Amino acid sequence: MSFYQIVLLVIAFFTAMVIIRVIMGPTIWDRLLGLNMVSAKIIMSIVILAIIQDSSFLLDIALVYAFLGFVGTVFIARFIERRGNL
Amino acid sequence: MIREALTVILISIGLVFMLFGVIGIFRFKDFYSRILISSKVETVGFITLMAGVVIKYGFTYFSLKILLICLVVVITNPLSTHAIARSALISGFKIKEEK
Repeated sequence: MSFYQIVLLVIAFFTAMVIIRVIMGPTIWDRLLGLNMVSAKIIMSIVILAIIQDSSFLLDIALVYAFLGFVGTVFIARFIERRGNL
Repeated sequence: MIREALTVILISIGLVFMLFGVIGIFRFKDFYSRILISSKVETVGFITLMAGVVIKYGFTYFSLKILLICLVVVITNPLSTHAIARSALISGFKIKEEK
């Protein structure tokens, strides 16, 4: 169990806690906030995984995921705000 | 040797910030205070973690890519949090006054 595997485990535990908030969240926007945080944590775990395997192409995946997570969250927020007609 | 120790310290500080972000989600009862705290602390934790990783790899293309990811997330995370809070406010989600 090298240090970075422990870091991955801790990030996975935090992601599980945030997912509990996404499930339990009273309003839609809590869930959206939780999704936003889960995607940030996933980017971190991809970067830590890139360190463990020492392969730099994984970072491109993290970069693309950052953009897609951002676009997805913004459009879901707009969808809710406009109640359907964007 | 110092670089490895610095990496471990910075990554653990980043994890501590993420812990505060998760605690911030569960501790606050109102949505607005929750989003205010957790998104800020989350971004700071992200920066600290990436700084630790960049120090580990020094001056290579690997750390350049990580800096690019850090830049992207630092710009997009507050933007998406703003979009969420704005959609909550516009669709009439009132701020509950503290009793």
